[in-house]
Order: sequence, then C-alpha cells, then structure tokens
Amino acid sequence: MFQESSGWLGGYLVTNGWGRPLEFRLTSAVQPNRVQAALYGPTLTEYLLADLIGKTLVEKTSTKPDLVVTDNPDALPLRSRIEIPVVALRPSASSVPDTVPLDHPRAPHGLLLSTRWMTDQSVVYELLDRIDTAVDLSEPFGRIREAIGEARKMGVTNRAA
Amino acid sequence: MRPEDDGQIEGRALLISPDEPELVGFTVHSPEPGIREARLLSDVPWVRSLGRLDLSITTEGWKFPAPATDYSVAPRSPNSSIGRQTVKLPTLPDQQERAKVRIRAKPTAETVLFKDRLLYLLQPPLDGLFDGRQLEVPFAPFPYQLEGIAFLVPRHGALLADEMGLGKTAQAILALRLLFHQGVIQRALVVCPKPLVPNWSRELKMWAPDIPFETFDGDPEQRRTMWLISNCPLKLVNYETLTRDVELATNERVKFDLVVLDEAQRIKNKESKTSQAVRALNRSRSWALTGTPIENHPDDLVNIFSFVDPDRIPPDTPPKRLPLYTSDCILRRTKDVVQSDMPAKLIKDLEVELTPAQRAAYTRAEEEGVIHLNELGDTITVQHVFQLVMRLKQICNFDPLTGESAKLEQLMTDMEEVAESGRKAIVFSQWVEPLNVLAKALAPFGPLLYHGKVPQAERTPILDRFRDDPNCHVLLMSYGTGSVGLNLQFANYVFLFDRWWNPAVEDQAINRAHRIGQRHPVTVTRFLCGNTIEQRIADVLDAKRKVFNDLLAQADKPTTMGLTEDEIFGLFDIKARPRKQAG
Repeated sequence: MFQESSGWLGGYLVTNGWGRPLEFRLTSAVQPNRVQAALYGPTLTEYLLADLIGKTLVEKTSTKPDLVVTDNPDALPLRSRIEIPVVALRPSASSVPDTVPLDHPRAPHGLLLSTRWMTDQSVVYELLDRIDTAVDLSEPFGRIREAIGEARKMGVTNRAA
Repeated sequence: MRPEDDGQIEGRALLISPDEPELVGFTVHSPEPGIREARLLSDVPWVRSLGRLDLSITTEGWKFPAPATDYSVAPRSPNSSIGRQTVKLPTLPDQQERAKVRIRAKPTAETVLFKDRLLYLLQPPLDGLFDGRQLEVPFAPFPYQLEGIAFLVPRHGALLADEMGLGKTAQAILALRLLFHQGVIQRALVVCPKPLVPNWSRELKMWAPDIPFETFDGDPEQRRTMWLISNCPLKLVNYETLTRDVELATNERVKFDLVVLDEAQRIKNKESKTSQAVRALNRSRSWALTGTPIENHPDDLVNIFSFVDPDRIPPDTPPKRLPLYTSDCILRRTKDVVQSDMPAKLIKDLEVELTPAQRAAYTRAEEEGVIHLNELGDTITVQHVFQLVMRLKQICNFDPLTGESAKLEQLMTDMEEVAESGRKAIVFSQWVEPLNVLAKALAPFGPLLYHGKVPQAERTPILDRFRDDPNCHVLLMSYGTGSVGLNLQFANYVFLFDRWWNPAVEDQAINRAHRIGQRHPVTVTRFLCGNTIEQRIADVLDAKRKVFNDLLAQADKPTTMGLTEDEIFGLFDIKARPRKQAG
C-alpha cells in the first residue's frame, strides 16, 4: 500500500511458501478530500490502509492466506479487521511505535508485529519457518510494484489500480 | 484468470442544517445531466452539499494457473555430493557483500494481454528458485543459464542457439520444469536424435527428478498406447520414431503444450519427412535447440523457424533481413563471452609430411584422377570430383599398399604423452575403417570404439567405461556418431585425424570435450598433410569458419558454410565443367 499523486492504492499478491504467485489483486486509487480528511481526523490513515484497502483486498481474494505481510507498518491495524496474523517489513530508518521487532532469516531486514497482537508471535514464527529458505519476504513487493506499473502502462489502472 | 469486479459503494452526502445540527447521511439522487440545482440563500432550511463523505475503492483480481499434477519435491539424497554445497568463508573487515543479481522471466513484446504479462511479472526470480528446497538441482545453474531459462519460459517460439557445451539441454529441462510447476503446461514432448536419448534420460533425471517422463520404444502397439492413451506429462522420442509414428503423433487427440527439438538442425531440409513430421505436431509452444542453426545456408535458419514460429519470417525474405524477424526469438551465447573462467581451448593445426610411400601413392592417384576428370568433359559431375577427393583423403590417412601413416606416427607420440599424464583423448575420423586400424595401433592406450556400427545398447556403457577406466586413454569416434550431444568433458585432448567438410561439424566434435564441467585446458590437434587436398580444403574452410563465428551477430551471412560445387571443382586444376541444364 502506498500513496502517489492520485491517492492511496494497494496491490496484494498471494503466494505459496515458495514465493510463487497464486492470486493477485489491485485496488483503484483513493484520494480523501479535505472534508473527508477533516472528518476522519487522525484515524484517516488507519481507516484507509486497514479498513478500506487492506480488508477489501484480503476479503475479495478467494485464496485465504496464513500470514499477511505488508510493506507499510501503518497497515498493521488490519490485524484487528481480519482473523489472520499481520506483520510488516521493518523500515530501515525510523522506529515504529506500538510494534515489536521480529527477526527471522526469511526477512533479512526484520519484521514488525503490533504490540496489540503479541499473542500472534509464536504462530508467526511457526509460519515463517515453513517458508522456503530461498524466499526473502521483501522481494515479492518489487514484483507487486512492477505489476502495478505494468497495469498503469496497459490502462488497467482505469479499471482498478 | 478471471477478473472479478465488485460494485462501487453508493455515494453518500452529508446534510448540515441549522435546525438539525447533527449530521445526517442519505443517498443522493443525481439531478438531470447538465442541470445544477440552485437554491436561494433565503430558503429555509439553507442547505449546502459537501459531496461524498464515504471513501470507496474498486478492486480487480487475477488467479494464476495451478499445476495439474502435484510435483512433489524429490527426496533429498543423503549423499552429500548431491545438491548445493556451501562453504562458510570468513568475512573480511573490508569485504563488501555484492548485491545479488536477480534474474527473472519477463513478458515478451508479443505478450499482449495484461493477464499473460502478469503471469511472468509476478514470478519469483530464477536465481532464488535453485537456492531453496523447492527445486532440487545437482548444482546451481550458471547466471547465463538462468538467463537462458528466463528467455525460454515466456516464449511460445524460441531458438536457443548457444555454442556447444554451454548446457542447452539443462536450460531447456529447467525451463520446462518451471512451466510444469507453474501449471502453464501439462503435456510436453522432447524430440532428439536417437543416440542422444540416453543422454536426455540421464539429464532429465538429474535436472527434473520430479517430472515423470517416458521414452518411446517397444513395438508399434506399445507406442500407439503411449501416443494416444498415456497420461505421462513428458515424453521423449527420437526423430526416426517420430517420423515412423507421424500418423499417431499428429492425431487430433495428441496435443502438446510444448515441443522441444534438440539438435534442430535436423530439420534444416524443409521437405524432409522429419521436418514435415515435427511441423505437423499439435503444439502450443515450440522450442528449438541447436548450436549450429546455420550449417550450410541461411535457409537452414528459415526452415528451423518453420517449426519455431511458421509465420514469423515472410516468404522470400532476403538473408540480410532475417535478423529483423528472428532476433527476438533467438538466444545465442558463446563460451568466450559467458565463461571467461572456462579453461582454454588450444587449437593446433599440425602439418605432417606424407611418408614416401604415401606421397608416391598420392601423386599417382591425383595425376590419374585429374586426367580422368578432364576426359569426362561436360559429362563431369561434382560426384566425380568428390570421389577423387575421398580417395586422396584416404591416402593422406594411410598408404593403401603398406599401411604407412604419417599421422599415425605423430598420434602415437602424442598419445604416449596423454597416457603418461593420466589424461584421456578423443580421436575423430570421417570413416569407420581408419578407426579400426587406429584401434589396433593404439592398443597400449586402451582404445574404445564409438561409431555408427556399434549397437545402440552398447554405446552408453562404452562412454561410461571411457570415463571410469583409468587404463582407457583414447576413444575413437566417427564424426557422424560422436559429434553431437555427448558430454565428454573428462577428456582433455581431441585429435581430428581427418577433416570434415563442414567446420560446424568439427566444432561440434571438439566441443564434446570443451564444455561446461571441463576443468583443464583442452588441446585440439587438427592433422593436416602438407601440400595435399587436405590443405586446400582447410584453406577454404578456415576462411568460412571466420565468417561462421560471427554468423548470428551479423546481418551479412555467408551463402554456405560447407564447400560449394564451384569450390569443390576449384580444388583441382581441371578444365572440365558440367553441362549446364537449360533454364
């Protein structure tokens, strides 16, 4: 999930434990206007990323995942909208409040888990251990960005992204 | 993949009223297009629309094909020599970890549908596939081989024309294995020359142990069952069997998602039954593998493309314009480009003087032969000249009366050195007869014979023995049987006892030893009897070889790689010429 000039949008790739694609889904971009921004106030980002984009993507996709990995820590509250553990790639520079770091070989730069969902920690580690050793959890996000770029080039953005 | 649209959430607006200060949501009904609703400021209640307040998105999704068969991971062998071996090296303080180069299959320019492009864009990098548990391989492919796989995977028509010895077979097997795993293909057929069937079987077991395959052999009824009933995902057939079974193979019930042609130069003659048989196969994808896509004439390439992508090259395209149509579908790499760390190939043209007996026989044969040719006048044909060439070449090998051979004397000396250093050599000849003579003379070096008269079933054990038996230092091969597809990288010396007509065939022979896996330099000795027909042929071929090396990189292609009719006549000082046919 990321923000660009036309607004916030999300791309969602479901892979198997080997990183192979099973299903892919794109959203259209959403740009809150000034009134919407004022009305949602500080809850706007969480609403956009968790409720609007994240939850919609997960629920609309027929393949149900065991673990959701996001490249945007602001989307971690998605966990409270779905019954699936959610972790975020750890950003290199800043620390993210209300999160705990997780270290695992599948994520060389580390992961973050929301402190509200510390109970997921053991399950998350168990799931990470089941992923193929060749997989780097940050790698598929490059594929998603490339697919979104391709969607723009081919005019699919007019329909979705 | 099926797009799934969901509906747009109904727009809602917010009503702010001085009489009713709380916010009220309700559905907006659009006024007529082009007409805006106007209200006087004095109207009570005064209403102002704030537009949509709910946020909404639409989504679109695609599902990817799943493999029809569960290709379970082959059990990891307890043998530690199998699989990727890693050694932990100490990290130096100033050692910078090099960024890993990611190699991925990209959609081609011809992949026009977004869902098809997504299929390739969203695949994981190839360099990671062979690092994990998912695809067991005997050793990690080289980066250029991964690029070859990335080239093949998205293409429906492709010609992999890597120089011999760069592992075309392994690249093709790994590419088709990935397509099986991705569920993109469910049925594939590999067509190869008969002598290479054992080699393909071995390589398939090595590079794709999880893909079941079967080989077409047995009686016609068994083959009928294999063509029409068997559900085996991968089938392996030789050209001869395919041609024989063409009616079954092209039955409308028999469909392949992918057909791979190995040594695709076999279909360079478009009118041949072999070429017609492979072109008639029902298939979605067509890959051709050959290190010599142009053996004699640019038409060879055109004819290979009549299988790869029949509509790609317009009829009567001049050779200069061929790259315009074919370049996107051809991948050609040479060893010197991709394998800078590969051991050197040292080519030595060894000129030997004919023994007195050979020289006398040679001079007599040539003089008499030329006189005979001139006597033929305009009834002469290239076959007449050809017969004389063959006769003279045979004398260059052995004197017909005494059996003396200047080449053999030199070969014996060289073989002593080869055997003393514990190495192995391959000797190539055009004919079986000299190989039999050589086998007797080279008895101290444990010679093994491998030519067209050796039964098929005995061939693989011969190669295994050559590899494993420390007393077998020399393998005597004919060009026709031993020049393609065999992996003999445990030999470090190659002797061309006599020369073939075509440099491409000689290169094939040399590259049996100089290929991936070779750890030592390969010394190639090309015997040449000075001041003979051999030297005259070599001069013509060397000039052509120079052009051939740049063949696929250049737009200007030579008209032929072997000797033309004029060039064969030019080998002798004869005035007779064939009668020209009218029209």
